[in-house]
Amino acid sequence: MTPKKQLLLIEDERNICNFITTTLKSNDYKVISAPNAETGLSLAASQCPDLILLDLGLPDMDGIEVIKKIRGWSNMPIIVISARTQEREKVEALDAGADDYITKPFGTSEMMARVRTALRRADSGNSVLSSGQNRYVAGNLVIDYEKHIITIDGKIVHFTQIEYKILTFLSQNAGRVITYDSLISHVWGPFADSNNRILRVNMANIRRKLENNPAEPQYIFTEIGIGYRMIDNENQ
Amino acid sequence: MKSRKTRNFIITVSCLAAATALAFLFFYFVPNNGSNIALIYILALIIIVRFTDGYLPGVFSSVIAVICVNFLFTYPYFALNFTLAGYPITFLEMLAVTLFTSTMTTNMKEQAKLIAERDKLLSEAEKEKMRANLLRAVSHDLRTPLTGIIGASSSYLENDASLTHEEKNAIVTHIQEDANWLLNMVENLLSVTRIYNQSTKVKKTDESVEEVVSAAMLRLKKRIPDAQVSASVPDDLLIIPMDAILIEQVLLNLLENAIIHSQSEKPILCYVEDDGQTVTFHVKDYGIGIAEDRLHDIFDGTPYIGSSESDSNKGMGIGLSICKTIIMAHDGRIGVRNHEHGAEFYFSLPIE
Repeated sequence: MTPKKQLLLIEDERNICNFITTTLKSNDYKVISAPNAETGLSLAASQCPDLILLDLGLPDMDGIEVIKKIRGWSNMPIIVISARTQEREKVEALDAGADDYITKPFGTSEMMARVRTALRRADSGNSVLSSGQNRYVAGNLVIDYEKHIITIDGKIVHFTQIEYKILTFLSQNAGRVITYDSLISHVWGPFADSNNRILRVNMANIRRKLENNPAEPQYIFTEIGIGYRMIDNENQ
Repeated sequence: MKSRKTRNFIITVSCLAAATALAFLFFYFVPNNGSNIALIYILALIIIVRFTDGYLPGVFSSVIAVICVNFLFTYPYFALNFTLAGYPITFLEMLAVTLFTSTMTTNMKEQAKLIAERDKLLSEAEKEKMRANLLRAVSHDLRTPLTGIIGASSSYLENDASLTHEEKNAIVTHIQEDANWLLNMVENLLSVTRIYNQSTKVKKTDESVEEVVSAAMLRLKKRIPDAQVSASVPDDLLIIPMDAILIEQVLLNLLENAIIHSQSEKPILCYVEDDGQTVTFHVKDYGIGIAEDRLHDIFDGTPYIGSSESDSNKGMGIGLSICKTIIMAHDGRIGVRNHEHGAEFYFSLPIE
């Protein structure tokens, strides 16, 4: 039996803290919690948790600052907890190095799914390719990274170079949100124009090749104002 | 104030200069044309009083004009001679024309200002009314689920020993439903603060229509997992300026309303049309339709306490009035109509 994963929860609201702790504990995780950023940072340093759940609205420090401080010395996964309408805040958090976010209020199943995805990514050494992952599978979609082939229902579907690049990046980060900016700089290079119209056009083309109904996608979901999230890889 | 004076001065001088130049042309090419020259100056005077403020520029330029006519264009040339026959009459005429027109245009300007002010007051009042309606609807609609939550949770705590497992489950489910309903409302209200923060105009960015539709569908499925909706988007990618978070909220509200209020199991249609100038989103249900007497004020946010609907406690008042606020802030249009087999809500957004 593997030792229990240890999670650090930095959250000032006691009720929310209680319910998250209870859920995580009943899912067999060890939880330590901190009511403010200062305690949180010192616990993160002393306990080296496997994952941090961080509320962005802390009383003593801006959540983005906390992320930057942690990223200064550690790659441990950070999941940010934030309100729905603050999409700029979420983008900032993701660009500062957070792995994922959950929108308040969230159901326990959603939170657990995010936690599991983040932990799994951390286990595979943050890079899909280095762990020998060479296939992405979700539903009827298979992406073969070695052969550069994408099939749906067993049939090969052709994608342009750019579309393939987008798809591999999203699928290698499946389960987590990729911001527009990070997607653009990955596909078009760091000096690309951050106007995301060209990205939208490419995404629309991908959607038409990939999805049965672009209005109700199965594989790639849009997080309005933030970016895209591809459905989890089943081949893990 | 100073800049207005400078502006008046510049307009006056340039108009007079232009008139003088024109008069010179006439004077040389069309001889013996004293009346035309006077008319040119009168025209210049009218233009000056129209585009300057106050009486001073008009009076000043009428004096200048009279002197010019006398000095430049009447015999003896380049000399002032006030003893010419009929000269005082010309002078008085020009002065009269100027004073008359400047009074008239000043009046006109004042009236236009008054009208603009009244319009502003009216739209302020309209906004105020909308806000008051909203507040009234909110307090009405908030109390219902809160009562449910407080009642259910205290009954759980007080009767812990006597309740069966199923009963407890039912109570907690009830609490969850009410809490979700509250959340829905709070999110709607938050959207409104997003608009009022930016002084009733929204911050638009180019967004892909299909992404907004799919995001709304995703949130709907999360909230009502067995929702029967069939959504479709045009084959061509549509990118239009909007605040996508708000438009997603509008779509979600309309879809959710359709599911809750149509009292029908038939799938709801959600589709998008593009006519080159506007993009129109439709949410069409196949249910009981909307009562005729509600069609005209359904978006006004008045809490509905009526008889023709069974579920007035969870009225659609707030959601729809917020939809209207959002669409108005986008310079769009929102509407509702009954079709043969149910109701259809639609809203359109300008492409540019």
